[in-house]
Amino acid sequence: MSALDFVVLIGSMLGIAIYGIWRTRGRRNLNAYLRGDGQTPWFAIGLSVMATQASAITFLSTPGQGYLGGLGFVQIYFGVPVALIIIAIFFLPIFRRWNVYTAYEFLGRRFDGKTRLLGAALFLVQRGLGAGLTIYAPAIVLTTVFGWPLNLTIICSGLLVIIYTVAGGSDAVTVTQKYQIGIIFAGMVTAFCLLLAKLPAGLNFTDTLALAGGFQKLNAVNFSTDIHERYTFWSGLLGGTFLMLSYFGTDQSQVQRYISGASLREGRLGLMFNAVCKIPMQFSILLLGVLIFVFYQFEQPPLLFNPASHQYLAQHVGSGQLEALESGFQKTHNQARQQIENWLDARHNGDEAGAKTAFAAAAAAQQQGEAIRAQAENTLAAANSGTTANDADYVFITFILQQLPHGVIGLLVAAFFAAALSSKSAELNALGSTTTIDFYRHLIKRDATDAKCVAASKWFTAFWGLVAIGFALYAHLAENLIQAVNILGSIFYGVMLGLFVVAFFIRRVGGTAVFWAALAAQSLVFVLYFNLTISYLWYPLVGCAACVFFSLMLQAILGGNSEMNKVRTI
Amino acid sequence: MKPPAATESSARETEETGLPFFRSWKSVYLFVLGSFVLWVALLIVLTKFFS
Repeated sequence: MSALDFVVLIGSMLGIAIYGIWRTRGRRNLNAYLRGDGQTPWFAIGLSVMATQASAITFLSTPGQGYLGGLGFVQIYFGVPVALIIIAIFFLPIFRRWNVYTAYEFLGRRFDGKTRLLGAALFLVQRGLGAGLTIYAPAIVLTTVFGWPLNLTIICSGLLVIIYTVAGGSDAVTVTQKYQIGIIFAGMVTAFCLLLAKLPAGLNFTDTLALAGGFQKLNAVNFSTDIHERYTFWSGLLGGTFLMLSYFGTDQSQVQRYISGASLREGRLGLMFNAVCKIPMQFSILLLGVLIFVFYQFEQPPLLFNPASHQYLAQHVGSGQLEALESGFQKTHNQARQQIENWLDARHNGDEAGAKTAFAAAAAAQQQGEAIRAQAENTLAAANSGTTANDADYVFITFILQQLPHGVIGLLVAAFFAAALSSKSAELNALGSTTTIDFYRHLIKRDATDAKCVAASKWFTAFWGLVAIGFALYAHLAENLIQAVNILGSIFYGVMLGLFVVAFFIRRVGGTAVFWAALAAQSLVFVLYFNLTISYLWYPLVGCAACVFFSLMLQAILGGNSEMNKVRTI
Repeated sequence: MKPPAATESSARETEETGLPFFRSWKSVYLFVLGSFVLWVALLIVLTKFFS
């Protein structure tokens, strides 16, 4: 990175943080600190919801997913529109009518204290464990590529987000997210335009799509009913709806964004903005990866995009073996490229048979190249006790560094940090709010004044920020934690959603019934997780259905008239 | 605990969208679902046409 890149990166990150602190100075009232005084307009809510969900790894990795696997990943977002409509119709009006600070506060009023604490605890465990990842995941990629000190990058970005989130609370999160998402979009659109300009002159847009489609990169919708396939239309629509309903409807980092609206209308429009924009946005990011794939059909790509993996292979595998792999990979790439050029000529001359033959030869050469790449990955895994190259994370950043001009590199790295800070700040804000409202004010100091709660919220936000930094600093000792935390999210979300589904829709169920039902459902999900190999997208559905079913059963046994299992209506 | 009662203004808040072409929330939701169906249809066309 050049001095210009650093100016763009540091200037934009510090500028937004300082602006956020300045704009939200003097927030001392609890409502203003936790809900932005309920004055947020719909557009700001929409961008804030979007920025909270899209972490840095979304923008770093998703183009890599498009490069390696094509557009199929977009199906995971098929549940978003339906889920957000359900939240806008049922969840949001009830949260607003009860005037709650956290989603779990509502559980306490609908059921009882223990169910509230269970909901809040599920959120804190899941979000608290994942807290470090939103800092660690982009930091490990960027420091591997740039050679920056990893710990310093984690500490600097972590402290920056703590300072402005603690200083301005929910409002600071919303204000900064608006500008951060602006930088993200500016970076991604610039990358998209420059990539289009870099494709060979004779390749028009239809040729580009035909080339990508020929390599199966445009298979966006898969109607397979095999539940072991991770991304299908059905897992996206059914499993994805439950996953998104759980995330947007019960995760405080999202609930806090849309309950801060000036009115119900503002919250609903903010959600509908995301319901309309989410699929096109993810599609565009994946398409960017597909276009990078097309670009690398005409330029030699590296054998492995992850430089650390390449370096490890160079050091631990005989240099002759690596050179053989690299020269084989280069040879197959040159063959594929030659055949693609033949295909393009035949296509432009209307020679269908020639085009078909050339493309078949290109596909065969490309497949050989992929086999060599797989061999390199297997060699790495064998040499480094199962470590994978995680190439998807490094495809986009490699393209940026090798192909884009200075200034734009700084803008895109700023976009990745902006995405990391925007999702991190919303998480810290939600963790601080939940600890204050559902534990401190509910359990420790019931008569705490607003000023004391704001002070407590600031301390708790800082505490969770430091936990996140600590976790990120030690995450490298257990690389598998990243996967473990993602899995934890998918197995906890269903039961959390089940609690809310019972609260909203099954009025005759009391607190004790739902509490034990949730614990039983969570145990069932754990048992299923360790014994089945179905896609993780199904667990929210299973957890939710089990929680509802067990609640009804226990309610029938316990009855609703006892003090222990009192039924309250909403 | 008793839930807060829905007031007349909160009932009105539930109904009004304040949007020029979509007067009811039902029409907003239908628009969202319509745009989703359109996107899925486009993706299916992309899958079938270029594979």
